[in-house]
Amino acid sequence: MFGEQQRFVLLLIAPAALLLLLFQVVPIVIGANASFRDWALYNPKKTWIGFDHYVAVITDPAFLYVVLPNTFLFMVLSVAGALVAGLALALLLNRPFRGQKLVQTILLVPLMVAPVIAAIMIRWIFNDQFGIVNVVLEAIGLEGQPWLVQRWSAFGIILLTDIWLWTPWFTLLLLAGLQSLPKEPFEAAAIDGTTTWRVFRYLTLPMLRPVIVVCVVIRAIDAFRTFDIVWTLTGGGPGRSTELFSLYAYVHAFLNLDLGRGSAAAIIGGLVILVIGVVLYRLVDRIAKA
Amino acid sequence: MQGLARWFVAATAALVAATGSAAAQVKELRIGYQPSPIQDASIAMFEAWGAKNGVKIVKVPNSYGVYVEKMTASLTSNSDQYDVIWHNDDWGQTWAHLLEPTDDVEANKFGSKWSMSPIVFANAQGQNTVVPMGQTFSVFFYRSDLVKPEEVPKTLDELVTMSKKLQADGKVKFGYVGGMSMNHSWFSWFWSMWANNCDVLLPAYERDNKKLAEAGWKSSLTDPCMQKTVEYWWDAINTHKISPRGMPAYDRNEANAIFMAGDAAFTVADTLWWGTFNDPNKSKIVGKVAAARFPLGPDRKKPFGWDDIWGWAIPKSIPEERKKLAKQMLNAMMLDEEGQTKLFKSTGAPPPNTTFWPKIAEQDAFMKLLKEAVLDSPDKVRGAYYFPQWPAVHKAFNDAVTKAVTGKREDIAKVLAENAPLVSKAAQ
Amino acid sequence: MAMVNRPQFLPWLPPIGRKTLFALAVAFICFAFAFPVLWLILTSLRPESGVYYVHRGTEFTLASFAEVLSDERIVAAFLNSALISTLATVFSLLVTVSSGYMLSRFTGPASRLWFGTIYVFRCVPYISWVLPLYFVTQSWGLYDTYTGLLLPHIAVHICFFSWLMKGFFDGIDPSMEYAAMIDGCTRWGAFIRVAVPSALPAISALAVLCWLFTWNEFLFALILTGNRVPVITVVMAQFVTEMGLRWNLMAATAVMALLPAFLIALFGQKYVIRGLRI
Repeated sequence: MFGEQQRFVLLLIAPAALLLLLFQVVPIVIGANASFRDWALYNPKKTWIGFDHYVAVITDPAFLYVVLPNTFLFMVLSVAGALVAGLALALLLNRPFRGQKLVQTILLVPLMVAPVIAAIMIRWIFNDQFGIVNVVLEAIGLEGQPWLVQRWSAFGIILLTDIWLWTPWFTLLLLAGLQSLPKEPFEAAAIDGTTTWRVFRYLTLPMLRPVIVVCVVIRAIDAFRTFDIVWTLTGGGPGRSTELFSLYAYVHAFLNLDLGRGSAAAIIGGLVILVIGVVLYRLVDRIAKA
Repeated sequence: MQGLARWFVAATAALVAATGSAAAQVKELRIGYQPSPIQDASIAMFEAWGAKNGVKIVKVPNSYGVYVEKMTASLTSNSDQYDVIWHNDDWGQTWAHLLEPTDDVEANKFGSKWSMSPIVFANAQGQNTVVPMGQTFSVFFYRSDLVKPEEVPKTLDELVTMSKKLQADGKVKFGYVGGMSMNHSWFSWFWSMWANNCDVLLPAYERDNKKLAEAGWKSSLTDPCMQKTVEYWWDAINTHKISPRGMPAYDRNEANAIFMAGDAAFTVADTLWWGTFNDPNKSKIVGKVAAARFPLGPDRKKPFGWDDIWGWAIPKSIPEERKKLAKQMLNAMMLDEEGQTKLFKSTGAPPPNTTFWPKIAEQDAFMKLLKEAVLDSPDKVRGAYYFPQWPAVHKAFNDAVTKAVTGKREDIAKVLAENAPLVSKAAQ
Repeated sequence: MAMVNRPQFLPWLPPIGRKTLFALAVAFICFAFAFPVLWLILTSLRPESGVYYVHRGTEFTLASFAEVLSDERIVAAFLNSALISTLATVFSLLVTVSSGYMLSRFTGPASRLWFGTIYVFRCVPYISWVLPLYFVTQSWGLYDTYTGLLLPHIAVHICFFSWLMKGFFDGIDPSMEYAAMIDGCTRWGAFIRVAVPSALPAISALAVLCWLFTWNEFLFALILTGNRVPVITVVMAQFVTEMGLRWNLMAATAVMALLPAFLIALFGQKYVIRGLRI
């Protein structure tokens, strides 16, 4: 039935495809099915109600005017922040200096701790009473802030935590990229006396383009669905002002026990990021090429 | 023939007795719970019963983070994972139709009538579905080394003046601290609104779903009583500075940490924390804590108590013989005086059997106070609402008041009015 | 190779000032990066009455560690976590290395379809499938078993890793494989003996990241296990109760969990850097 090559191709993906089917596709299809039904977790009537849940989500002003803008803002800032920090650290680690290996190990620390634990720790660090940040600020004569009750400081802390968690990934991927770049153009530039900035802008950056594109797209998808650290740090508060799309879905599915509505919200979010991912891929690719 | 059968039964019984409890040892009951002092103490009674009756007690701890959703999923998928599960008034009505009726657990008659009201735990047929584990509610805690019993604030205004005085004297950094964020509304928002004839839905203190529906699931957010409550906390935080500025984002852990470090004079917390506050390994205020009735707002003159239970329940889907065994175990737990006294001692939670209360109160001043101020009080409040949309209502309410209290004072009424429809909508 | 005269930052500064500034900046960055974890370690050493006000008081104790270690489940949880992480890493890499190879070496409808599939399923948020996953593992009798925890942990990496693996193979010249096939190697031979060894650095890099990810994973573990397969993150999560958080025990467990992760990162990082070249 299949030629030798087709058989080879199919066999190569067969184990992955089977696992994907069983533990990702099947549950997602069940969730998608629930999104068209009256499916409260405590009382699954499972009657077909069409697109009611979807309509309810996309006509919810909180979803449109708070949750989606927050999510986009978070995605852009988090990816940009981690990219810039990761690139800077990768450039730093790419030059030999004493203790380079030690610094490299320390920069990997965020990868070693469970994100949820890190988020709890950071929440306490920013507590206005016992948090060390305010203690230090007050010790040097500044006023401590109630970080988590003000919208933008709370948002900033979430962002900072996320960037902290993900910078090591960028650093690693970009450093690996840097080290695989050919040496000759850099040597030529050094002989010509080209400035650091021009070397970075016209040599390093274009050569890193493929790595950056993949990093940004994959990370953007993940940033869009960030959940655990936000839930731990602010729970979307104060008063929903830092709510992201995955929290919106979580509150419906897990807190209100409405699996149907929660799944619908999650699927809408999934579709949005699907489109963003494709657009982003083209966009970043073009920017990096220019 | 019948004689032969009887002989056979007798012979089997003798054989079982002779071989020890080998056959009985196979029996086991699986308990789905959450590790915490009160549940641990209750399960200790199960284990004592199990040891005596040859039933193995298998403990399956669950994290609070996913307890309700996972257990609900387990109950609706007719899985056979647990024989007895931790149950709470908050999701009494969410689970009622999935649980085995417990009217035939005889010792249930010793449970608190108020707490086991059909409004909370009965299924559609009016059958009760819970066996109590202990009374779990909050009281007003104060620092007994700083405040004499007769000086304890009786009103919300006195709470402000007393706090200011203690802060001015340099005794404490803050007067009051209590949880305020989502799912911790009880420890500041709820008690203070109840203290002023207010509630999440109106009419206040009403928990009959029919009457709430007749009233159109009316939110209190547009009522002056709620505006006063929000303004009270706004002033407490920003004007009088008797509470930390970060408090609207606090959960109970943060509030209790500050209280236990000795930085606040007053708090509201579950009586279960009594043990922790007085544990020298955990707290810096050991022996310096006492409890009192809630301070009252300007619109309420009569004191009130808040009284709820935690309980145990049996999933409907498990086999009959295990249901029977589980009921025997729960019945024995209800009658275990020694175990229940221990439960109170280790937690500060009044035990499930009301007939043990007087005796414990004779020996223990804290229990005496709880009995007078809460358990025997005719004016009681229920902590939650008893319809499945309650978590959504609670979140909508908390989001609204948090937004109002962290905004400008003059915007409070406006913010509350904007959010009132969302609360009513969440209830329907 | 002759040492290249690298372009310098802040060229107007004298070398000594530049060096000091550089050292200070690096020290500051390291401190900022490590701070939350340092603070966590400090927290875990404080008595329970001081775990929130970490800066207040100077008593330190190992009591929290002793209490955690006295729980007989903890050793089992560490072993379980190590086992699951290792197996998940091995199997994830096994299935994605071939899938990534296919994506890289073959074009055509099958390849495009597979890439489209993994892209689409990469985008679906976890929230929408952990609960259905619970129903699925339960109805297949896999709930609270090693298999039931392991297989989803493998599945979760398929999309991401296939994508990265494709990148790795794209960077490797296929002419070696063609040469091998002309010499009489089968397709499988060319894949296993020629392509995989040249991608090995990248694969070992992913191994380290995969291991760390699985080790620290919370959501799946919480939803898919009961009491038979306690893993370390689930044990940590159980310190969160309706009556509040046992933060000292959580911190102590987290610090203990840090150690294996630290060793993996320490000894694995050179493979990571060498390997992660997309």
